[in-house]
Amino acid sequence: MVRLITHNMLACHVKNCTKDNFPLVFSEVELVIRESEANYDFLRRFMPKLDWPALVDTARSLGDETLPDDQPEEWTDEQLQALHHVLMEMHVEEGNMTCRGCGHVYPISNGIPNMLLAEHEVGR
Amino acid sequence: MLTSSFVCPATVSRPSKVSKMPLYVLRVCMEHATFRIPSLLSVAQLYGFSIKFISEDADRGIVVIELDDDEDVDKLLERGTLILPAGEKLPPDPYAKPSSDLRLTMLSTASRLLAQADSYDQLHAYLHEHPEGLRPYLDKNFKFFVEGINHRIPSSRQRKSIDAFEQHGYTGKAAMKDPEVEFIIYEEYDLNEAHSHEKSHRLERDGQFRQVYFCVKMGESRARPLIQAHSVKTRSYYGNTSMEAEMGFLMAGQALPAPGKIVYDPFAGTGSMLYSCAHWGATVLGSDIDGRQMRGKGQGKGYVPGVYRAADQYGVRDRVLDCMTFDITRGPWRRGGWLDAVVTDPPYYRPPSRPYELVNLTRDLVLFARWILVPGGRLVFFLPTVSEDYDAVDVPVVEGMRELKWGEGSVQDFGKWGRRLITMEKTADDDGARPSFDDSEAVEVDSGAKIPGHFQFRERYHEKFTPRLQPSSSAASPGPET
Repeated sequence: MVRLITHNMLACHVKNCTKDNFPLVFSEVELVIRESEANYDFLRRFMPKLDWPALVDTARSLGDETLPDDQPEEWTDEQLQALHHVLMEMHVEEGNMTCRGCGHVYPISNGIPNMLLAEHEVGR
Repeated sequence: MLTSSFVCPATVSRPSKVSKMPLYVLRVCMEHATFRIPSLLSVAQLYGFSIKFISEDADRGIVVIELDDDEDVDKLLERGTLILPAGEKLPPDPYAKPSSDLRLTMLSTASRLLAQADSYDQLHAYLHEHPEGLRPYLDKNFKFFVEGINHRIPSSRQRKSIDAFEQHGYTGKAAMKDPEVEFIIYEEYDLNEAHSHEKSHRLERDGQFRQVYFCVKMGESRARPLIQAHSVKTRSYYGNTSMEAEMGFLMAGQALPAPGKIVYDPFAGTGSMLYSCAHWGATVLGSDIDGRQMRGKGQGKGYVPGVYRAADQYGVRDRVLDCMTFDITRGPWRRGGWLDAVVTDPPYYRPPSRPYELVNLTRDLVLFARWILVPGGRLVFFLPTVSEDYDAVDVPVVEGMRELKWGEGSVQDFGKWGRRLITMEKTADDDGARPSFDDSEAVEVDSGAKIPGHFQFRERYHEKFTPRLQPSSSAASPGPET
């Protein structure tokens, strides 16, 4: 269940990969929607931490067109509900997250992304 | 915020009279005594009020506190979700909602203190002199409860103690079921004599209590039953590193979890810390280098990982934001300054991806928290340590982070080793630099310097803590493995 709020905070961390390492691009996605109760205070507080263009692009890549291009300055309840839906209710259960910079693929299975780097997997 | 709450008016003790401010009696368990005050202060800080400790002896089963700011109590009442023993303020009907949601797993009962004294004679004399405290309760249907602390009072004398209260003019009826008011009498005895259970000795010391407290019960802790409800024994998913529920909740309490906050465990393992923090409303994140710890044995499409099954069991699945497999020392977090707390039990018991001296791990954890926490956010972690070597300097000193410590600190003692619960607060306003986790600096240990108590902890654990000689060159330079 990689949620988009989490996804928005993740970047590729392969050594020396510093260009286009965010946001990671979803592919072969199995998406599950789980409704939950919105906490608008939480959303308002978290907004400044978000990378808005990355969030909008990612939501659209998963078929959700509800977010405006520019981050609103004043939020209506309807917009907050849309933001809640995108951040908290969209769960990527299966699929891949790929780095646009270096091409590294981070697979997601059973909702848990594997972000261990290859060298360490080998090292174990 | 309430940093001053960590300055204790410690010398106040045993007031002969009940002061004007409402005093509360907290009946606390005797275990984990060094966790008491920090836990209480964390609750106070979370809800923004201050506590004055009237008595806080570590070896007592009772803590008497004063909540001295009425406006803060009002704030508490306004915020709704919190239900502290605030029934005191706005007295119209103190027993209408006799509940306390003191998030203290060690607390069993909270009550309002009406009187305390060295003897029953003094107690009753005080109540005659100050009848206003008892007056509002006299016409209520009541129930009495007598408890000896560190002592079992014979039932005949319990009866006698209760009957003596008739002199204050009760008009209500005794009601064992659904009483309107519950009175509690605590007789508090010294601990050092408590281990003798011989009947003759018990009878001899009966009545030789240190203090007697007369209180009106306000409520029972709802946190204490969590120890049972979250017991690892009945958890649908757990592992050999799962933390026992009581310690998990004690630890979680230090992180000030609340709705709207995000708490992160970078060594999540089987998720123990996630459940307790989520129970108190926080949204939680977990990661671990070993995905099998979080997943459990199954795989394939439709399989529900173990951490999510346990979160389901506790009704907090939606509060688990995500669990991820990665090595925190090579973590993928894009930016700092967005987590409210980092709570973790670092893995001294299993090797991380590469040889990693615990001294370095601890320092890097503090640096990581300095970067990723919001200002005022908390880092809570266990620091295993060989007891005799431990010294306060062992907690890494990092600019922008400060330790919140009460007295000698909170320690869970296992004899030759112990683990200290360290609580730190981010004092910096900025995110600062992303920590490198390069583990490149050798731990400088020269023969004259103090060796941190957790230095080479893993090795010493396996050596069963045989006394350590002066560090030889081979033992003292764990340096980078090259």
